[in-house]
Amino acid sequence: MALLELDQVHKHFGGLAAVNGVNVRADDGEILAIVGPNGAGKSTLLKLIVGLETPTRGAIRFAGQEITQAPPHRVRQMGIAMVQQTPRHFASMTALENVALGALFGRAGAHRQEEQALELAGEALSFVGLADRRHDLVGHLNLHEQRFLELARAIAGGPRLLALDEVMAGLNDTELEASIAIIRAIRDQFNMTIIWVEHVMKAVMSLAERVVVLDFGTILTEGLPAEVMRHPAVVKAYLGQEMNHA
Amino acid sequence: MSDRPTHSAGAFSLGGVEAHASRSLPRLLLPIAAVGAGLALLPLWLGHSRVLMGVAVLGLAYVCYTIAFNVIFGSTGQLFLCVGALAGIGGYGGAILADSAGWPIAASILAATLAATLTGGLLSFVAVRRSLGVIFTGIITLIFSLSFDALVLGLGELTGGDTGRLITSGAGTLLRDKIPPYYLMLALALLFLLVHGLLRRSHVGWAFRALRDDEVAAELAGVDVARYRVYAALVGAAMLGLAGSTYAFTEGRISPTTFGFGEVDIVVLVMLGFGGIGALFGPIVGAVTFTIVDEILIDFGQLRHVAYGMLIILLFLRLPRGAIPTLAGLWQRRRRPKG
Repeated sequence: MALLELDQVHKHFGGLAAVNGVNVRADDGEILAIVGPNGAGKSTLLKLIVGLETPTRGAIRFAGQEITQAPPHRVRQMGIAMVQQTPRHFASMTALENVALGALFGRAGAHRQEEQALELAGEALSFVGLADRRHDLVGHLNLHEQRFLELARAIAGGPRLLALDEVMAGLNDTELEASIAIIRAIRDQFNMTIIWVEHVMKAVMSLAERVVVLDFGTILTEGLPAEVMRHPAVVKAYLGQEMNHA
Repeated sequence: MSDRPTHSAGAFSLGGVEAHASRSLPRLLLPIAAVGAGLALLPLWLGHSRVLMGVAVLGLAYVCYTIAFNVIFGSTGQLFLCVGALAGIGGYGGAILADSAGWPIAASILAATLAATLTGGLLSFVAVRRSLGVIFTGIITLIFSLSFDALVLGLGELTGGDTGRLITSGAGTLLRDKIPPYYLMLALALLFLLVHGLLRRSHVGWAFRALRDDEVAAELAGVDVARYRVYAALVGAAMLGLAGSTYAFTEGRISPTTFGFGEVDIVVLVMLGFGGIGALFGPIVGAVTFTIVDEILIDFGQLRHVAYGMLIILLFLRLPRGAIPTLAGLWQRRRRPKG
């Protein structure tokens, strides 16, 4: 059953159609990758899903409920969390507090006490391997750790769907392997659906169960990773060069 | 999957308890009680002089205004340049209801406080709905402030216009005595500190910290930024209305300068900037320091405002966290052993 459905979604910025009549569905527990060249509308699509942008036309449904016009905090409380390419954190808080905030506010009706939220935050930090950094301020963490911290904050609220925006960009091979392992673990352990915009094709091939290719705001093709990567138009126009590098 | 990090919930429950303990209630109440005890002794020193006690009451009114401004601006980044106007709604509203409409003083104060609360909430609601940033929020509240000044002058029959009005209600009671008004305003200041402290310890405090740091990240974490901004404005405006109204009844007369932009907003900005924006006790440090400085510089008249203006620029450029937090940070760094 589809957990998330995008039905003929459009997003126009003035005369530019960043997303142009896209239909996407993500099933429960699925890892869905969205790929495509720069400017294809991938990140805009994620922003539409989490409420940072509002569609010009079309509908977005999550768990059977319409979320097309819902603000980000409401979408988050309904069960969709996002991790961005450039991590955004709360500079005055420690790593533990950053994650606890996700546990306190990330789920509607949870009414968690502070102590319980801090405990959940500790578990989430442990899960992403940042247990020993829990009392550090965010500014003391490197980019890789900051992304994991944002991941910990996202899962601490217990979402059903995780939207990842190019979280593998700029990582070395060791960090990439660690990131792949953690994302797979999140899906396996919590049965979380993952929608993942990514440029690093090695990671996509290793982790994704289905791939949607976007170009100029429309879907070029979609299917199993191996099939999509063999698609002549995809290889030629968008992915060939990156696949060779990977 | 062998490199997957494993759960160890037990190891982290301690972290939670540690953090929670540092936010325990005695750690909030004890400093407030100490501040209260210290300030409660002041009349023993100044109680012989009605003039000096009047200055002390005014100083406490500024403490109240600065705490309220700290709740709104320090906690949620809403630059409300209408502190004097909201306090003035309390002051003028209370005076008019008590003297002209014949309401009991307590009911007048409550009604005027409610009016200030709703006005502050409405201003915040408009700013939030229109997604106004710090600067534009500052501009619309400044315009409101100037409009309020014009309204006070325009409604001369009710407000006394330029010369102000006497408040006959409360005359001859403890409200106009030498010492009791001081303790009344002190009680208000401590109550406001307690309310702000409790807010900071609650879910609301977490939301305030988050949205002050990064409102997009706060929204994505599930914080309803708009709602918490309006909450802060409602609480802060209620404090301003209550303090302004109570101060007016203790003073017995009000005029445009009692709640003027230059006399209240500028001074409150300096006080909070000096004491530390967002710091719980910043308003106390700032207001007490500048009440004393203001009294010392009183012979310079309006020139004091030039000095305040320059001080605001200096504070925001060089010490954005506030003078006291910056100095405290430097002191801690010096005391920390090297290596």
